[in-house]
Amino acid sequence: MYRLWYYFRETFSSIWRNLSLTMAAIFTVAISLALVGASLLVREGAERATAQFQEGVEFIVFMNADAAEDQDLAIREVLDNSPVIASYNYIDQEDAYEEFRNLFADKPDLINSVSPSVMPPSYRIVPSDPSAANVSELADQFASQPGVKEVATATEAIRQIDDFSTRVSQALLVAAVVLVAVSALLILNTVFTAIGARRQEIEVMKLVGATNWFIRIPFMLEGTIHGLLGAALAIPALFIVDKQVLAFFQESDAVPLFRGFAVPEGFVWDTSIWLLLIGGTVGMLGSAVAVTRYLDV
Amino acid sequence: MIRLENVTKVYKGDVTALREVTAEIQRGEFVFLVGQSGSGKSTFLRLLNREEVPDSGKIWVSGKDLSKLRSWSVPHFRRSMGCVFQDYKLLHKKTVFENVAFALEVIGQSRPVIRKNVPAILDLVGLTQKAERFPNQLSGGEQQRVSIARAFANRPEIMLADEPTGNLDPSTSVGIMKLLDLINRRGTTVIMATHDRSIVDSMQRRVIELDRGVVVRDESRGIYD
Ligand SMILES: Nc1ncnc2c1ncn2[C@@H]1O[C@H](COP(=O)(O)OP(=O)(O)OP(=O)(O)O)[C@@H](O)[C@H]1O
Ligand SMILES: [Mg+2]
Repeated sequence: MYRLWYYFRETFSSIWRNLSLTMAAIFTVAISLALVGASLLVREGAERATAQFQEGVEFIVFMNADAAEDQDLAIREVLDNSPVIASYNYIDQEDAYEEFRNLFADKPDLINSVSPSVMPPSYRIVPSDPSAANVSELADQFASQPGVKEVATATEAIRQIDDFSTRVSQALLVAAVVLVAVSALLILNTVFTAIGARRQEIEVMKLVGATNWFIRIPFMLEGTIHGLLGAALAIPALFIVDKQVLAFFQESDAVPLFRGFAVPEGFVWDTSIWLLLIGGTVGMLGSAVAVTRYLDV
Repeated sequence: MIRLENVTKVYKGDVTALREVTAEIQRGEFVFLVGQSGSGKSTFLRLLNREEVPDSGKIWVSGKDLSKLRSWSVPHFRRSMGCVFQDYKLLHKKTVFENVAFALEVIGQSRPVIRKNVPAILDLVGLTQKAERFPNQLSGGEQQRVSIARAFANRPEIMLADEPTGNLDPSTSVGIMKLLDLINRRGTTVIMATHDRSIVDSMQRRVIELDRGVVVRDESRGIYD
């Protein structure tokens, strides 16, 4: 008990004494972890956005929400009779709405803003020959039919989203890794400075027989707290990325596929826990290096 | 209680600080280490609290062979030893009370033990009235008393003092010597390195003289020369 109080007191007095460096370390951790988190969110979003293209579906014909019934029937007639179509699945407005609701289960605002009547019905189509050339030829044929809003081919759409998301998430990840390394160094430096500020105390502690761990623990705690506080600051940033950036794609009408570009709130929370773990570990490692390098106990 | 057998200590740069030193010190003794500057007095003391290790020879303290002491058990070993220096080594942001309490706190003593023992020790060194002062509000003699109080806080078996009166005037030094004598009479073995002729002559205690790292004299009731 006395010991815990001692660690607590020493750690916080040291942080207080070293406030400007501590802040720098914490903010660097926060920024780098926010980037790590954003990269994870983009990747997850992309995976969910392309989920519609499963089980051999190579292209999707989106109809206009207000397409006339005979336009719809014409498409269906082609699909039923064409020898090059293996199978297809019709997603009516109710189904589309249902999917949309599942995708955005935790965003009631978004769900309330749409109704089944504005959802585009679509055909998910499995061609008998899935080669890229054949698929794009078929897609062109359907795109020119009346009542068709747009045709998304798996190859094109998935490549688009994959390209976009890998590029973004890789760029974020590279920046994040560099920044995580920088923040580890900053934490190391901050703890080193804290050790320097307490040289005399440490000398006396060694003299009277304080154990090595007793001397080390407040410094290790200090680094770990930098990491954890940085992660705690990164978490709100993560929710902002989720709400603002991903929402921008969801609401853009340009590419219907991007509407699937969402991650559930649960995933954001899971990512937050990872950030705390990474932050704490980076802080602990940074301070452990400082302590073993500069505290020859 | 303390035994050195053919102890040689060579610092890097080829300085032989101690050469084949053999000595035995009994429990409860008061021993002066004398000799010219650079003769190896401080090295002798640093070997005893394991700040340094000998290049050859063996050292026993309280029945422990120091060459067999693992580095993780050095802190516990040091708890049976108090150290006092010429420059006091007090913490300037802590009061007298806190300086003494710190020594107990960092070896894991509980708050009630600290609250009970620190006033008793401050009383012993005569600083009860000045417990709440900071080191820079004290005279040199008073600061050395605080440092002795801190060294004695854990009731060590052995007290190592490296020129404790080196910065003090003669009358203040006498006061410090009375204090060390009192601690010695309570059963603590005291080993003190000094250049102070009058103190050694008046105390009439054992004297070990070093000359360039070699023991040249060991008298049980000696004088400085
Ligand atoms: N850490 C060290 N590294 C290298 N040489 C050292 C070291 N400490 C002491 N010496 C050398 O070892 C010799 C003995 O030094 P020591 O400090 O033991 O002498 P001393 O008797 O305490 O001297 P003084 O009376 O001046 O305090 C000296 O020549 C000194 O220069
Ligand atoms: Mg010396």
